[in-house]
Amino acid sequence: MAVRRPARRSSLAAAEERLLVEEAQRDPAKFDALYELYFERIYYFVASRVRERVTAEDITSEVFHKALANLQSFEWRGAPFAAWLFRIASNALADQYKRTSRERPSSSEENVEELERAPSSRNMREIDEHAHLFRLVDKLPAVQKRVVYERFVEERSIREIAERLKKTDGAIKQLQFRALQTLRARMEGGHA
Amino acid sequence: MPKRSPAEQLNQAIEEVLVALPSRSESKSGRSLAQVMSIARTLRFLPRASFRAALKSDLQRRTAMSESTAASPAPAPPHFRRPGFPNIAPYFLVNHAPQFIDFLVSAFEGTERIRVPRPDGSVMHAEVGIGNSVIEMGDANQQYPQRFMTTHLYVPDARATYARALKAGATPIFSPTDEHPSGDLWGEAKDPFGNTWYIATRKGWSGGPEGVLTVQPYLHLRNAHDMIPFIEAAFSAKVTGVHKSPDGIVQHATIEIAGATFEIDEAQGETQPTQSYLHVYVPDTDAVYAQALRAGATSVTPPNTAPYGDRAATVKDPFDNTWFLATFVGEPHP
Repeated sequence: MAVRRPARRSSLAAAEERLLVEEAQRDPAKFDALYELYFERIYYFVASRVRERVTAEDITSEVFHKALANLQSFEWRGAPFAAWLFRIASNALADQYKRTSRERPSSSEENVEELERAPSSRNMREIDEHAHLFRLVDKLPAVQKRVVYERFVEERSIREIAERLKKTDGAIKQLQFRALQTLRARMEGGHA
Repeated sequence: MPKRSPAEQLNQAIEEVLVALPSRSESKSGRSLAQVMSIARTLRFLPRASFRAALKSDLQRRTAMSESTAASPAPAPPHFRRPGFPNIAPYFLVNHAPQFIDFLVSAFEGTERIRVPRPDGSVMHAEVGIGNSVIEMGDANQQYPQRFMTTHLYVPDARATYARALKAGATPIFSPTDEHPSGDLWGEAKDPFGNTWYIATRKGWSGGPEGVLTVQPYLHLRNAHDMIPFIEAAFSAKVTGVHKSPDGIVQHATIEIAGATFEIDEAQGETQPTQSYLHVYVPDTDAVYAQALRAGATSVTPPNTAPYGDRAATVKDPFDNTWFLATFVGEPHP
């Protein structure tokens, strides 16, 4: 995306992440904090690699359930926790692809290898940006947020949204325009 | 041709993105629209808020269940618990108890521990061990009529147990699935006597015979949220995980009494409220009986020393569940 990158991950953030992981290893109820930290990133990583939303949700769910079940086995070996989490996601994507390819024989080995590859540091920065955008949607004014969800998540037409929100087509287009302008400005660090 | 507004131009470009057409509008427009469109392309992957919340709730539920089941069995049984009774035992009052025992043996590889017959051949009391836990039963009578109960079984191989249960005469509700919201491999069947069995295997966890209680009563309640303050006050219970819907409905809770657990949820839809018979060992029957009455329970039988050696009492909770309270007063465990 043509937007300013969020601040580079600092050693402080790494230390905080480590603290969160160690707390969750001692008390699994603290896994919540890791979920909050990583949900958007994992979801984007998965959703941008599969066709169907329902598949993205299934795989995301699988990733977090596996992470929770295997958290005790995670050890600090120089790689951040995120790398471990994305490795689980990459494996889950590859497994899903293999399952699908049994039904669609046209799939190739290269595709599986591509899916099994964990994201590079450049990919990670992009994933961070996209996840940041998802969180910004939550901070939009309520009606703009509703339009964004109706349009991009529910994939409804302008007419359908207008009927549901009891507004004109033009008003919905304006709300959509303002929402996206606001998100762009906030991604660039402004306060639109 | 009239010039289109920026909002119109953006919408045209979004239409093309949403239907995956090569974007003509974007290529003809300026840098500003291109930047906004990069936002729009990412928003196609925006997660549903309801999915985010539901997954979080599932994970919380899983951690709560892990805590409760992992913490429940003590290495050495406490003195107040009769040996071989680690769990809160569902007490089944059924018609045709001998056949019910046969079903438990065949379906769940149960072991008949004791059977006390009446002169007419019916069963006054019987116990069947399943895994590391126990289930009790007897033939229903006027004082204690038949009730249809729900029980959660944790077994090493849910699929094999489910298949055995069907072979023994159970009716399938759904076969064990990895897709269950609990995260466990989970199936459901109804026995020929009208009771429901949740047959589950924990994932990512390798508990030995002492690791997790095999049998856990599962209560479906109307206004389940009211059970929590009652059970805390009546039995000094510890509620280890409560998950509520945004409108306050209890979707699941695991509750511990004196080191053993049971589960509750709100009876909704096809799931009708259950009234269960439950046998629970407590450190001091007399004290818990008095405490339960203060909390709103109704006395059925005041504390007494039963012929088999337990200090026993019976109360009914406001949801019409019957609680057989007991304290083992025999020899200390070896």
